Amino acid sequence: MKINKIRFFTILSTFFCLLWAAGLALVFIEYYSSEQQPIPNNTDIPEAEKKEGDLIVVALGDSLTRGTGDSSGKGYVGYVREELEEKSAQPVTLFNLGIRGQRSGQLVNQVQETQVKNQLKQADYILITIGGNDLFQGGQTLLDADQDTIEKLQKDYLSNLSSIFQEIRSANKEATIFFVGLYNPFLELDDSKKTSDVVRLWNYNSAELAADYQGIVFVPTFDLFELNVADYLYTDEFHPNKAGHQIIAERVASLITWQ
Amino acid sequence: MSNLVHNEVMKLLAKKKLWVIIIIVAVLVSLFTYAQMRAIETQRETLGTEDWRPILQQQIIDTQNRLSSSRVSDEWRQQLEMGLTQQQYYLDQNINPSEPGAPTFMRLFIESAIDLFIPLLVMVIASDLVSSEYSLGSVKLLLTRPVKRWKVLLSKYITLLLSISSIIAIVGFLSFLISGLVFGYGGWGAPILTGFNTGPEGLDFSNVRLIEQWKFLLMTFGLAWFVAVVVGTLSFMLSVLVRSTAAAMGIILATLISGAILNNVVSSWESAKYLFMVNLKLTDYLTGSAPPIEGMTLPFSMLVLTIWWAAALIVSFSVFTRRDVY
Repeated sequence: MKINKIRFFTILSTFFCLLWAAGLALVFIEYYSSEQQPIPNNTDIPEAEKKEGDLIVVALGDSLTRGTGDSSGKGYVGYVREELEEKSAQPVTLFNLGIRGQRSGQLVNQVQETQVKNQLKQADYILITIGGNDLFQGGQTLLDADQDTIEKLQKDYLSNLSSIFQEIRSANKEATIFFVGLYNPFLELDDSKKTSDVVRLWNYNSAELAADYQGIVFVPTFDLFELNVADYLYTDEFHPNKAGHQIIAERVASLITWQ
Repeated sequence: MSNLVHNEVMKLLAKKKLWVIIIIVAVLVSLFTYAQMRAIETQRETLGTEDWRPILQQQIIDTQNRLSSSRVSDEWRQQLEMGLTQQQYYLDQNINPSEPGAPTFMRLFIESAIDLFIPLLVMVIASDLVSSEYSLGSVKLLLTRPVKRWKVLLSKYITLLLSISSIIAIVGFLSFLISGLVFGYGGWGAPILTGFNTGPEGLDFSNVRLIEQWKFLLMTFGLAWFVAVVVGTLSFMLSVLVRSTAAAMGIILATLISGAILNNVVSSWESAKYLFMVNLKLTDYLTGSAPPIEGMTLPFSMLVLTIWWAAALIVSFSVFTRRDVY
C-alpha cells in the first residue's frame, strides 16, 4: 500500500516532468520558427444583437465627454444617462468613447474604426463634444493668435467635423445626434470680448454644418456659462465642474423626447 | 540510486507538505475565481453588454485616456502604448484576448503566479530538503550508509524535481477544476496571438502568429516549470548552505519579494537584468508585455536563469560533498 503510493507519485510526477519539459521545448520551437503564417482575417464581426427596448447611447469626443472636472467622474454624459433612465424607465447602455485632449482630426480616425462603427450602428442617441482642443489648445491660441491662424484652425475643424458627421451617418441613419457646442471658459480674463466673438463664430459655423444633416442637433452651451462662469468651472478654470456638467446634461436631456 | 529516490519520496510524502500546498492553491484559486467573477459582473453592469468587443473597446479608450495625462512617466507610457497597440490589434483581428472559460483562467492565473506564488510554493518544499536533516540530526544516519555523498544529494535533487513537476500540475488541475465550475470548461481551441517582439519603437507585429490555447497553455506551463526549477534549485542550495530551514526560507523569500518590487522600479538600472529575480516573468515574452528593462528577451532571460541554476547546483554539490558533519 505504502509502496504503491510512492510508486504512483513517482511515476505520475515523472510524467508531468516530461510534459512540462516538452512545453518548454515548444516555447523554443515557436520562438525560433520563422514560418510565416498569415493570420486569418476574420472581419465578419457578428452583428451585435440589440436587445429589444434597450436604449443605447454612444458618446464621442474629448475631455468633456470623458467627464474631466466632474468630481463624481460621470461627466455630463453620465448625467444624461441617468436622466434618460429615469424618463424612459428602461436600462440605458452607455458607451463612452471620449478621450481627453482629443481633437477633431483624431475623432475622424476614431469613427472610422470597425468596432466604433459597429457600436455607432446600434446607437439610439449619439452625443458629441469636439473642437475645444482644436480651438483652445491649452488656452494659447485664443489669446495670442491673430485672425488668420484662427480662421485656418476653423477651416480644418469644419472639414473634419463634416467627415465625422458623414461617417456616423453612413454607419447609422436613424440615431439622433446631439452635438454639444463650446462655451467660453476665458470670460473672466482680459479680452473676453474678443474670445467670445471667436467662440460664437465657431459655434455658429458648427451649427450651420450640423443643420445640413438630418437629425443632428446642435446644443448650445455658450449661454449657460455666460453669467456665472466662475461657478461652473473646475479648479483648472477650463473644464466644467460638477455643476457645469450637470447643467449641460440637463439641457441635452431636455431635448430627448419620450413618448 | 532508485532506492535512494524511493527513500526520499517516502520522506516527502510522510511530511504531508504536498497536502498543505494543495490546500493553499485551492483556497487561492477559489478567491481568484470569485474575484474574477465579480469583476466580470460589474463590467457587465456598467457596460450593459456581454459582447467582448465593446468591453475591449472601452479598455482601449481607458488606456488612451491614461496616455493623455501629462503625469505619466516615460517608461509607463511606453508600456501603456505597447498594451494599447496590442489591444487594438486583437480588436482589429476580431480575436478575443480572453475567451471566457477555465483554460483562459488557468493561463491568466499562471501568468500572474509565475514570478511569486509558484516560486513560494516550491520554496516550501525545497528549502528544508537538506537543512531539515541537519536540524533533526538524521543527516548522520544518512551519510554513514555506504553510498557516495553526491548520490545522496542527487536523490534529494531528483525528488525536488519530481515535486516541482507535481506542484505545477496541482496548480494547473486545481485552477482548471475550480474556475471551470464558474466559467465552464471550454475554450481549449481559442486562438491566442503570440510572437510579439518588443523593441524600442514599440511592438513589432511581423512575427505574430495565432496558436491554439492548449498549445499556448503547454508553453506557459513549461515556462512556469522552468522558473520553478531555477528557484527550487536556488532554495535547495540555501538549504545545503544554511543549516536552519527558517533562515533558508527567509533568504529566498526576501529575494523573491525584492524581485517583485524591483520589477516595477528597475527600468533605469540596466545591470539589474542579470539578477535572477527580475527575469522570472517569462510568460510576458509570450504575451508581448514590455520587459522590465529594455533589451531583455526570452533567450536572454532563460540564459541568465540557466546560469544561476548551474551555479546553484555546482555550489550545492561541492559544499555538500566536502562539508564536515558533526
